[in-house]
Amino acid sequence: MSIEIRLPTALRALAGQQASVAVEAATVGEALDALFARHERLKGQLLGPDGKLRSFVNVYVDEDDVRDKQGLQTPLKDGDAVLIVPAIAGGSPAAAAPELTKEERRRYSRHLLLPEVGAEGQRKLKAASVLCIGAGGLGSPLALYLAAAGVGRIGLVDFDAVDESNLQRQILHDTPSVGTPKLESAKKRLAALNPNVTIETYEMKLSSANAVELFKKYDVIADGTDNFPTRYLVNDACVLTGHPNAYGSIFRFEGQLSVFAAKDGPCYRCLYPEPPPPGLVPSCAEGGVLGVLPGVIGTMQAIETLKLILGIGRPLAGRLMLYDALEQSWRTLKVRKNPDCPVCGKNPTIKAPIDYEAFCGLKEKTPPVIPEMTVEELKAKLDKKDKFVLIDVREVHEFEAARIPGSTLIPLGELDKRHVEIDRTVLVVVHCRSGARSARAVQFLRGKGFDAVNVAGGILAWAERVDPSLSVD
Amino acid sequence: MSLEITRALEALAVAACETAYPEEGCGLLIGPVPPDLAAPERAVVVDEVRPLANGWDASAKTNRYAIDPRELARVEAALAPAGRGVVGFFHSHPDAPAWPSPFDLALAWPCVSYWILRVDQGRLSDSRSWRRSDDGRSFVEEAIHLEG
Repeated sequence: MSIEIRLPTALRALAGQQASVAVEAATVGEALDALFARHERLKGQLLGPDGKLRSFVNVYVDEDDVRDKQGLQTPLKDGDAVLIVPAIAGGSPAAAAPELTKEERRRYSRHLLLPEVGAEGQRKLKAASVLCIGAGGLGSPLALYLAAAGVGRIGLVDFDAVDESNLQRQILHDTPSVGTPKLESAKKRLAALNPNVTIETYEMKLSSANAVELFKKYDVIADGTDNFPTRYLVNDACVLTGHPNAYGSIFRFEGQLSVFAAKDGPCYRCLYPEPPPPGLVPSCAEGGVLGVLPGVIGTMQAIETLKLILGIGRPLAGRLMLYDALEQSWRTLKVRKNPDCPVCGKNPTIKAPIDYEAFCGLKEKTPPVIPEMTVEELKAKLDKKDKFVLIDVREVHEFEAARIPGSTLIPLGELDKRHVEIDRTVLVVVHCRSGARSARAVQFLRGKGFDAVNVAGGILAWAERVDPSLSVD
Repeated sequence: MSLEITRALEALAVAACETAYPEEGCGLLIGPVPPDLAAPERAVVVDEVRPLANGWDASAKTNRYAIDPRELARVEAALAPAGRGVVGFFHSHPDAPAWPSPFDLALAWPCVSYWILRVDQGRLSDSRSWRRSDDGRSFVEEAIHLEG
């Protein structure tokens, strides 16, 4: 039977420029075979490796789709016209969201049941990428929940090894992984939780030199760092690259949560234009933290991250949430965008990452001279009953375990409020465990007009050289 | 390698895509079918722009488009006797770059122009035209020559 095969312009280049090709055939399959015999290149365009018509190729006999008839076996009669019509479709890059496998549909079934997530949302999660800064207290629940939720690509930046003292809260790591790189145990744990997720690890210190390029590879940044220089760096790099920052921070029993640098939202600098004086806000390593607290805050960061990816709900941009575990309360503060903000304001002065160590006062050109005395000099002063005060700036539990006789406890973190309790007419001698915290306290007190000196070597030196009966950990 | 189009026809495609926002707009680029259709450097001359409804299902029209194949077949059949044909397609990327997506590439055909219009918040902000490479692995950008 004589059949006319009509080709759209897009395919004619592969068929000798002809708009139609006449063949002899009894079925659609035969007609196509005859066409491919003459025009080899068309075959690769129209048939898949399995020899079947590609899903985006339509074949019509007159107006009828052969898929609705007998496919390639559809019979033809003399004079029929077979039309080959390519599907013309596409879409923006966001649409390139990958399909879900059967296994994924089962795994994420509770998400698929939610109208706000559904298959479309789950595919967005699969296509999304999140960079977690830190694989510690906040990074642990954050990365675990993001992996469980099916975020397709998770980046982790950390350069620490697992320490025994991390295990009280950093649930990505376990006892056998003590001493190994955090990224190793994190990757192992996350891959075991959800093998569909790609884990990318960066064993390095995030810096002004590498942050911008790294952030560009991800959709959302989640800051779980524990220090001010990195926090300002993450903020600035987020603003500069247009990435939202799902932010969390913790201290003792309190947590903070927000989304910074979202479109038209305020950034961390709008809230805190300047870092606190160096050393005044103790880190978790110095001040302690309730182990469950990062579980609460890191999980909240994961929720905000998922909302940002899915485009649902009301992101926490422009609001700062304060959590108090002892009161079991949440407070919400409004954060307004500062039009004069040096990085996200109308006339920004910061156009590239700066030196954050210097910005946070941690890199002074000439370190201040801290007056010191030895433990022997302290002992002599105590024996002579000189008029002076001895302040211990360690934490309560350290003080309870071992103390120098005659000392008064004011933990470093409370010094800002409690320095008014100290007699400023006499010499103030300050000590801690090894002399580091007390050096900061001395610097602070001297700034407030006290005549303060540091005890070199702290109570460790005291226990070693003055009172060996004292047991200090 | 270029896309030759008049300002009036360009305006027609832009209007269709801006009206479709936040969904993707799409349509056909029609012109004479040259004898050297497969020549890699040839210009694609457009003398008619025909906006079409986005045929993708309602759930994803904001980031997908589809052209009804029956409509395409009808148009081609009507044009063929005069030596004319559908020489390219246009579609918009709402709030996304005017670069082809992997999905665009997966469904691209050779020798025709793919003109992508970026529409931000309902206004055209960029437009670029592309042709699929011979091996089907990438898109090559072509110049857009506006006349008139």
